Amino acid sequence: MSSFLTLDWWRAPRRSATPEAGLALHASAPSDTRLPVAVQGLRLGYAKNHAPVLTGLDWTLQAGQVVGLLGRNGAGKTTLLEALLGLRDPQAGAVQLFGQPAAQIDDAVRARIGYVPQQSDLFEGLNARQLLAYFRSFYPRWNEAKVEGLLSRWEVPQDQLIGKLSGGQQQRLSIIRALAHEPDLLVLDEPVASLDPLGRRDFLRELVEQVLDRGTTVVLSTHILSDLERVAFNVAFLKDGRIRLQAPLDELIEQCRWLQGPGAEDHGGELLARFGPRLLVRAPCLSGLPRETLVQLVTLEDLFEGLA
Amino acid sequence: MDTPIQFQIHTGSAEPIYRQLMEQLRRRVAAGQWKAGQELPSVRELAGLLAVHPMTISKAYGLLETEGLLQRRRGLSMVIAAGHERPAPKAQRIEQLRPALERVAAEAHELAIPKQQVLDLLGKLLDNPGSPR
Repeated sequence: MSSFLTLDWWRAPRRSATPEAGLALHASAPSDTRLPVAVQGLRLGYAKNHAPVLTGLDWTLQAGQVVGLLGRNGAGKTTLLEALLGLRDPQAGAVQLFGQPAAQIDDAVRARIGYVPQQSDLFEGLNARQLLAYFRSFYPRWNEAKVEGLLSRWEVPQDQLIGKLSGGQQQRLSIIRALAHEPDLLVLDEPVASLDPLGRRDFLRELVEQVLDRGTTVVLSTHILSDLERVAFNVAFLKDGRIRLQAPLDELIEQCRWLQGPGAEDHGGELLARFGPRLLVRAPCLSGLPRETLVQLVTLEDLFEGLA
Repeated sequence: MDTPIQFQIHTGSAEPIYRQLMEQLRRRVAAGQWKAGQELPSVRELAGLLAVHPMTISKAYGLLETEGLLQRRRGLSMVIAAGHERPAPKAQRIEQLRPALERVAAEAHELAIPKQQVLDLLGKLLDNPGSPR
């Protein structure tokens, strides 16, 4: 057991074998009103002389929300997701998962979290069957039918060493592992980067099913905007170490406009970004603008350009 | 034989997905292709089929119900509301087409394409609706 101490908790997600943890989980889950994720003033940097990656970040995920996390490369999405799971020690601030400090979550909360890391390169010496048996031993609940179904549907070879599987196969296996114990909170860090379009669509369907069946809270980081647009009802933009904006995507697309030309500066709304003469404005007062102002609709890609 | 109820969505659009669904339904009903009493796929079915968040579907259905285009039957299934047995009057359908044509007109201006050439192209597209876009 001592070797587990050097592992991140998600690789060995239980401190001790307490069957009661499972019973308590079933008894308490439906009436739980605690927030899945509450982050306050999170500050985290890697080196003294470098600017911190996260600079006093506040963020809340409500139960049942599916939130797409957007940000440029290097914006700190992975750092944020790792800190959120208690896998990194912040210099300041607090993260709570289901009401418990992230660095000290107990087995019951661990069992409620599913995590697909960007890279899961530790289990290369096992095959899929062994890996799943290993993880199964940690959880009070395990949906074997779902695991078997996904393994065959997603064509994951079960008897080959994981190190020999393709990137896409490893990613599918990682997703299956994260779904198997029916988590209430799913944290997905670029889960589909190596999947082909069909694999991605199938993954999205699985995610939709989780949301329908279990009201799972999901946070998903990806650069594939078309996927995000389908499943993420809410989007959050990470920029300069903070969550710059979080809102329902429909609302943002309907409220935001590009404005340019005479009168654009008197938009009467919230200025989100400025690119030379072009302004990205939320809820501008369109009737107050002169006819000469160029007004254009926005897409998710425009929002990414302006906010990430 | 009823026209099957199927939806199509486009990502990367300035029109949110729930609006795309609403507009498709409005057009099909106005055309008399989807008729009163026809049952819509459940939120679960459509969310799975299109791989979109179920709240997007229920938002579209809810708003269409408020508009009187959909009716909730006992249980949870939605049907096209009574009163939509036949196509809407032509004048009304033309009005529904106006926003799309306004966009075409604006883009033709931006591209500086003469009127007659736009009309010729539109004519060709109308004669041959199956041609690739």
